[in-house]
Amino acid sequence: MAPTIELDGLEVQLGGRTILRNLTGVLNSRAIGLLGPNGAGKSTLINTLLGFHRPSKGSVRVLGLDSRRDGKALRALVGYMPETDAFIAKMSGVRFVRYMAELSGLPPDQAMERAHEAFVYVGLGEARYRLVGTYSLGMKQLAKLAQAIAHGPKLLILDEPTNGLDPPGRKRLLELVCEIREASDICLLLSSHLLRDVEETCDQVLILRDGRIASICDLAEERRGHRKFLEIETCGAEPAFAAALQSLGCECALFGNGRMKVVLPDAVEIRDVYKVAAERGVQIRRMNHRRDSLEDIFLNAMEQSGGTSGRI
Amino acid sequence: MAVYKRRYNPYDGPLTPQQSRFLVLTRYALAELFRSRVFVLLFVLALVPILFFAIYIFLVNSNAVQLVVQLRVAGGLAIESEFFFTLIMIQTQLAFLLSCWVCPTLVAGDLVNGALPLFLSRPFSRPEYVLGKCAAIALLLSVVTWVPGLILFCLQAGLAQGGWIWSHLWMVVPIVCCSAVWILMLSLISLAVSTWVKLRIVATGVIFCAFLVPAGLGAIFNTIMNTYWGSLLNFSELFRLILFRGFRLESGFGGPVRFEQIPLFAAWIMMILVCLSSLYILNARLRAREVVRG
Repeated sequence: MAPTIELDGLEVQLGGRTILRNLTGVLNSRAIGLLGPNGAGKSTLINTLLGFHRPSKGSVRVLGLDSRRDGKALRALVGYMPETDAFIAKMSGVRFVRYMAELSGLPPDQAMERAHEAFVYVGLGEARYRLVGTYSLGMKQLAKLAQAIAHGPKLLILDEPTNGLDPPGRKRLLELVCEIREASDICLLLSSHLLRDVEETCDQVLILRDGRIASICDLAEERRGHRKFLEIETCGAEPAFAAALQSLGCECALFGNGRMKVVLPDAVEIRDVYKVAAERGVQIRRMNHRRDSLEDIFLNAMEQSGGTSGRI
Repeated sequence: MAVYKRRYNPYDGPLTPQQSRFLVLTRYALAELFRSRVFVLLFVLALVPILFFAIYIFLVNSNAVQLVVQLRVAGGLAIESEFFFTLIMIQTQLAFLLSCWVCPTLVAGDLVNGALPLFLSRPFSRPEYVLGKCAAIALLLSVVTWVPGLILFCLQAGLAQGGWIWSHLWMVVPIVCCSAVWILMLSLISLAVSTWVKLRIVATGVIFCAFLVPAGLGAIFNTIMNTYWGSLLNFSELFRLILFRGFRLESGFGGPVRFEQIPLFAAWIMMILVCLSSLYILNARLRAREVVRG
């Protein structure tokens, strides 16, 4: 199976400025997150994938299709939810989605059926006969999602899907995205400023900075590698405690004044740490249990790519 | 699949042919237009002159009615090329008024709320978008120009005696072709202006200005320079010249043609240039994403 996205020395110039520079990499996960500070080139990359911008150098292949040569064939496989407002205000919701599905090639009766299904699926069933112009911001976002999935795409591109949503709306939308991902073999490309959105929905992350790739990381692998990461502050018998933990298979680093960091292997639970501490008569004054989060990965990538942590 | 099944299903059914997909745009555009009462009223009003022309044809060809209304038809009321020239001139001017209303309505809805990226993120190109919208405009304007022209031609052919149809069959060409040229130019100019000016009412005004302002400037140029080349900026007059030549007329119906010195090829070149300029504007403005330079 072809990788979801292949970047081969991709460079894009817009208005005389180079926006994307020499992007090279392969993204083969089914759910890809696109991260980066403002102006990093996330939306430009999405627009280039869709064929809205022509690469000035290099190429990009999506699901094995070249964005420049096979533009139409590629767009036939894609469902796109843009970041900005995109609707026809004087159409009812279901008619709008049917219209878009027909433009993707569905026959009118099938398009109508799929439009109803998509609207009910995203939770706008009751509002589907209302004019789209009268929808609230959250409803418009869901209508955009409905039009993106109505024709059954192979790749769903979501550009800042949770923008302007309240917390329940955001939660609902992310649940939908996860459901869609699980329910079929659909691939997902999600661009967001919100690290949690990407963390909850994606397996692989492409981090951009100043139009360059700062990092491509496999989130699932990162999670596996740093499953249980403890920051502990103890009082008394610190080296003995560390030695006992090491005998259980843990990795320990001591920082003095009772502070230590411990990476637990899969077989060791936190309660085992308490048990060892009790046996050795060590007081645990503070314990932080954390994973190496996407935020760490992001900040790391920003620093490594030569600069202070990016604004997000 | 029923709507109560709340889960995502991929689609693996049949697809419509790619070549005819622009007609989806045309179908939806026409459906949206006919929802507007104002448009329906304008459309019906644009067809009213046809009724009078039909009555006229009937009067000219019916001796019984002529006797009843005591109408004299000796010589002056013959149905010849001047009749169809006048018919097409009137109807194309009404088509212009109609296009001023229709084109901004068709395009503004897509552009104002940023729906264009949704169209272009599908297997659907910008030329197909223009083709779909132009087809909708062309269909509407055809219904008020060459289609009634041909119907009246057939009516006259049916009512007239002595092989009228065979001696006048050549008129079908100017009726259809000249109207088509005008419709094409109107569609492109109106669409270009509508993509440039996104607000519907303003776009309607600008389309008017796109025809009237150059015509006025041309007239001023003619007066000051004592020439006739300024008339090249008057698109209606250019069309009138092309139609005039198409109907093989020597003098205009209701007065002589004012700029017979302008060569026909110059009128054609000007119209082609206007169409190309409109296409250039459409190419520049119809983009999924605007690029700000600098």
